[in-house]
Amino acid sequence: MTLPRWLLPLLFVLAVAGAAWRAPTPSAPAFLPPPALAKNDAPASFAAAMLPTAAPSAHAATLAELPDGRIAAAWFAGAREGAADVAVWFTTLDAGAWSIPRQIATREGTADATLGFVRKIGNPVLYAEGTRLHLWYVSVALGGWAGSSLNHSVSQDDGRTWAPPARLQTSPFLNISTLVRAPPLQLADGGLGLPAYHEFIAKHGEWLRLSADGMIIDKVRMVHDQRTLQPAIAALDERHALAILRDGGPGPGRIRSATSDDGGQHWTAANALPLPNPNASVAMLRLHGGRLLIAGNGAGNRNQLLLWISDDDGKNWRPAPTVENLADPNAEFSYPALLQARDGQIHLAYTWRRQGIKHAAFNEAWLDGGTP
Amino acid sequence: MSPTAIYGFLTHGIVFGAFVALLQLGSKRRILALAAIPVALVAGIASFMHGIIGTPSLTLLALAIWQLAGRTPSPLAYRPALILIAFALPFYAMALGLGPLDPYALGYQPLPLLAASIPLAALLWWRRLDCWLLILALDLAGYASGLISNLWDALFDPLLVLVALAVVIGQHVRSSVASSG
Repeated sequence: MTLPRWLLPLLFVLAVAGAAWRAPTPSAPAFLPPPALAKNDAPASFAAAMLPTAAPSAHAATLAELPDGRIAAAWFAGAREGAADVAVWFTTLDAGAWSIPRQIATREGTADATLGFVRKIGNPVLYAEGTRLHLWYVSVALGGWAGSSLNHSVSQDDGRTWAPPARLQTSPFLNISTLVRAPPLQLADGGLGLPAYHEFIAKHGEWLRLSADGMIIDKVRMVHDQRTLQPAIAALDERHALAILRDGGPGPGRIRSATSDDGGQHWTAANALPLPNPNASVAMLRLHGGRLLIAGNGAGNRNQLLLWISDDDGKNWRPAPTVENLADPNAEFSYPALLQARDGQIHLAYTWRRQGIKHAAFNEAWLDGGTP
Repeated sequence: MSPTAIYGFLTHGIVFGAFVALLQLGSKRRILALAAIPVALVAGIASFMHGIIGTPSLTLLALAIWQLAGRTPSPLAYRPALILIAFALPFYAMALGLGPLDPYALGYQPLPLLAASIPLAALLWWRRLDCWLLILALDLAGYASGLISNLWDALFDPLLVLVALAVVIGQHVRSSVASSG
């Protein structure tokens, strides 16, 4: 059967019109910075405890605050990093006690939902947006973490049940090398800006702009002269944001940074911060009072977990109390995640010797040197 | 599971069947190629291809259906294959981090790309490349349906580029054998 020739241009016109109708034409992006709240005058407090053990090896925690004020944590754990039994585990802090962890993403479940082979899963990111709790995590079909693809799932009931994950299309070449580590930022149009990174051949940060219905509508590269990874981003106002990145080596051994002055549409490499980074993940939080808080490792290795505060949007930094400090260079306290709850309490979760996840809760008075 | 996952899985089954149709299997070739599709879907071959390669392009799907239908020659002849390779290789290099620009990002808000497709369609019409005009319309319709979030992914994919590479290399091998004979 042969189509009449006049029909082809007609089909093309219909198709191009349909595609143009469907193509996103978003407004200029703007951040939705968290509202500034009055400083809490409560006395200094600090408490730390291990999260319940899920499996022998644990890594890469992430935190979110649920609508009812409970704190949720997720991380990946299994026999060892990259093992076939690694799953994303989830627990909530309710009345001072963590619930028994349960799996919310597995290798088999991801393969079933995406109808594609999956060899291993890793890095989760939680984010509470109204009544929706988002989970992004990476999965690999072939090779190492550089071959990661991004998956997304949503819970409408505070993490009790989850929709089947969908794989996001973020790269044209085998859809590989998009990873996440830090939570997204809310945008003024109802969408989200998700910090991501690429590590196949080149290593650099990325910014994925998501529409209110979860579609990717833009992807922006954060270019540095040397390798960088794992951006964590804080909005300073509607237009300006600061990104800090892991020094992917061989760099200056300091936390790298980038800035945006147009709501995340473009990112410009900025000077490395005067803070050490031994090629390790960092976390950043804009506190309710407007100050910035960074958690990261010391210069030597991952055997120190340190905090730094900036009172002037990241221009100057000063040390806050030390969280972990061991002389043993093989000790590992790494991959911090930060969250400030609506009650002002600051939550920190981090990998503890790869054996588990430790959680610390403290307030701004403790950060300022107060003694609990 | 999402419609995109179902599309990708089924299309990889069809693509596997098209590969079987390329084998020298005599008079049973078409039957065996069609039988290979459910085998690929059930035996995990399509799942493996989907996991490794990702969502296939609509161009690849169209060419696979063309092959399964027994229509010859394939529209993916030497010259279009060469054009595809010449475009895709630098595109992939840039998208994977070579240089500051990421051409893939253009596919998320593709109005400029759609505008560029109009003179391309006119050229295809003028050169009487009707198959390619039909495939281009199918690609755009696939994007319009929401199956594919980035327009580039509707147009081409790494497996299609690999097939194009095989077409070009095969042509050169045949030419050199013919000239030496």
